Amino acid sequence: MHKLIVNEWTKIFKRAGTYVMIAMILLGVVAMGTLIKMTEEPDQAGDQWRDELSQQIKEDKKDLKDMPASAGDMKRFLEKDIAINQYRLDNEIAPPSETTGWSFIDESSALISFAGLFAIIIAAGIVASEFSTGTIKLLLIRPIRRYKILLSKYVTVVLFGLFMLAVLFISSAALGFGLFGTGDGNSVHLAYADGEVIEQSQMLHLVKIYLLSSIDVLMLVTLAFMISAVFRNNSLAIGISIFLLMMGGNVTSLIAAKYDWAKYILFANTNLMQYFNGTPVVEGMTLGFSIVMLCIYFILFMALAFGVFTKRDVAA
Amino acid sequence: MGTALELKNVTKVMKGKKIIDDVSFTVKSGEVFGFLGPNGAGKTTTIRMIAGLMKMTSGEIFICGKDREKEFEEALGHIGGIVENPEMYKYLTGYQNLKQYARMSKGVTKQKIDEVVEFVGLTNRIHEKVKTYSLGMRQRLGLAQSLLHDPDVMILDEPTNGLDPAGIREIRDHLRKLTREKGMSVIVSSHLLSEMEMMCDRIAIIQNGKLVNIQNVHDEAEAETAHRYFFEVESGYASILKEKGIEYQEVEKGIEMELEKDQVPNVIKMLIEHEVRIFEVKLISKSLEDRFLEITEKGGTTIA
Repeated sequence: MHKLIVNEWTKIFKRAGTYVMIAMILLGVVAMGTLIKMTEEPDQAGDQWRDELSQQIKEDKKDLKDMPASAGDMKRFLEKDIAINQYRLDNEIAPPSETTGWSFIDESSALISFAGLFAIIIAAGIVASEFSTGTIKLLLIRPIRRYKILLSKYVTVVLFGLFMLAVLFISSAALGFGLFGTGDGNSVHLAYADGEVIEQSQMLHLVKIYLLSSIDVLMLVTLAFMISAVFRNNSLAIGISIFLLMMGGNVTSLIAAKYDWAKYILFANTNLMQYFNGTPVVEGMTLGFSIVMLCIYFILFMALAFGVFTKRDVAA
Repeated sequence: MGTALELKNVTKVMKGKKIIDDVSFTVKSGEVFGFLGPNGAGKTTTIRMIAGLMKMTSGEIFICGKDREKEFEEALGHIGGIVENPEMYKYLTGYQNLKQYARMSKGVTKQKIDEVVEFVGLTNRIHEKVKTYSLGMRQRLGLAQSLLHDPDVMILDEPTNGLDPAGIREIRDHLRKLTREKGMSVIVSSHLLSEMEMMCDRIAIIQNGKLVNIQNVHDEAEAETAHRYFFEVESGYASILKEKGIEYQEVEKGIEMELEKDQVPNVIKMLIEHEVRIFEVKLISKSLEDRFLEITEKGGTTIA
C-alpha cells in the first residue's frame, strides 16, 4: 500500500505544475507580508491600552442594552468581546497592538482556500487523467485490487493537501517572525466559549485554525476526487469543486437566512470555527450535528467513488 | 505441457447484447496463441476480461490454475500485458515508468529492471523522458513493463498497431525468444492475418462474439492428408492421368491436383516415363487468409 502512495506522490512531484503551485503559495505569503509591512502604522498604544479597553467595554455594554432581542448573533459577538477585554484587564494581558509573527500566521490562513484550490486540482486529475492518457489499463492489470489503487490515490491527495497547508504555515511563520518578530513574547491566545475565557498557547490555536479551516477544503477535495473517479472527467471535477469552493458558503448563508433546512447543506457545516469563535449559520446547530453531517457527506462521496471505480469496465 | 490459461463458458452481456457468447478455450504453456477476428468481433473484450479490466457476466477464467474472480491477486500476478498501445507516463523517464510498475509487483529488483531494459534494447535511452520516444520505443518500453514480474502468460492486444515492418519484426522476435527461453505463453490479438500466421502456433477465430474455429498454424498432422499440388507441364499428360484415375484441373501454364504426399514422387515418375516435360512441382498451401475467409464466410457474414 505505501508503495502505491509512493508511486502517486512521485507522479505528482515529477510535474512542473506542482512546483508552480508551491511557488504561487509562497508568492501569496510574500505579497501579503509586504503589503502589511508597508501599510502598517507605527505603534503608539504604549500604556494607554487599559483606558482604551475600559472605554471599549463601556461602549459595548451600552450597545448590548440598546440592541433588540432579535439580533442574537450580534449580541453574542459583543458578549464575547466584553468578556475577553475584561479578562485582559483582570489579568494584565495587553492586546496585540501590532502585527506579530503570530498574527501574521493567523492572517495567512486566508490563503488556505488558495492551497485548497491546488489540492482540488490534484484530486480532480488523479483518477481522470489516468483514464484520459490510458495509463489506467496498465494500473489495473497489476495484481492489486482496485479499491487499494483508489485508496492510495485518495490518501495521496489528502497528504498533498496537508503538504500544501504545511508549506503555507511554515512559510508564513518564517516570513512573519522575520518581518514582524514574535511580539512581546506574549504568546497567549484568548478564546471564548460557553461564557468563559480560556488561555491557549498561540501555536496550538494557530494549528487548530489551520486544520479547522481546512475542513471545507477537505470536503471539496473529496467531492472533486469522487467526480474524478465516477465521471473520469478532469474539467468537470475541477469546475464543480472550484465553483462550490467560491460560492458554496455564500449561497448557503443566503438560503440560511430564509430556510431552516439550510443546515443540511454541506457548506453550513464545513466551518467548524463557528462553534469556537462566533455563531452557527442556523440557530440551534451544534458541533455534534455538524460532525455527523460532515461524516454523512464524506461517506456518500467515498461510497460513490469506490462503488463506481471498482465495478467499472475499462473500455476505450 | 501444462495449461497456462483456461476460459470456461465465458459470456459477456453489455446493454442487453451478447458481446461474448459462451467462449471456452485453453492455452498451453510455451505457446503463442492468436486471436483473430474482424473488427468488433470481441477480441479486445475477451482479452480485457482475462486481464481483469472487465467483468464477465458468467463463466470462469483460470490463470495458471487460479480463479481470476476469487483469487484475483494470485491470478493477475501471473499475467503481464499490453492492452492496445502501451500508455506510459510521458513526463517520466522510461526508467521511472518501469519503477512505477516495479513497485506494484512483489520482488522486482533493480537488476531485474536493468535486465529487462537490456532485453528490449533500450539501455541507451532509458533515462530519457518517454515523450521523446518514438512509437517503436514506447512499444518496447511497454514490453519491458510487462516482463518485469516474470509473468507466465503475456497478453498483447494489437501489439503491432502503428508499427513499421522493422518494429513488427522486432516484436515477433522478442515473442519467439520469450516462449522458447522462458516457456511463457503469449496471447496475441490482431486483425492482420499475415502477421498472425508468422507469430502464432495456434489461432482462434472469433466472430460475432463466438469462437468459430481454432486452427493449428504449423499443423504437422495435416501433412498426412491430401494437399493441392501445382505441376508446370507441357501437353501429353491427359491420357496417362485419366488412365490412372487421377483428377486434375487445368490452370495457366499447367495443372493442379489433389495428392497425398507419398503419391507425389510416383506421379512425377509416371509423367516422366511418358515423356511429359516437367518444369516445376510445388505445394499450394492454403494461406491462413483463405482459411480465415472460408471459415468466417461460413458463419454467414462477410468481412469488410
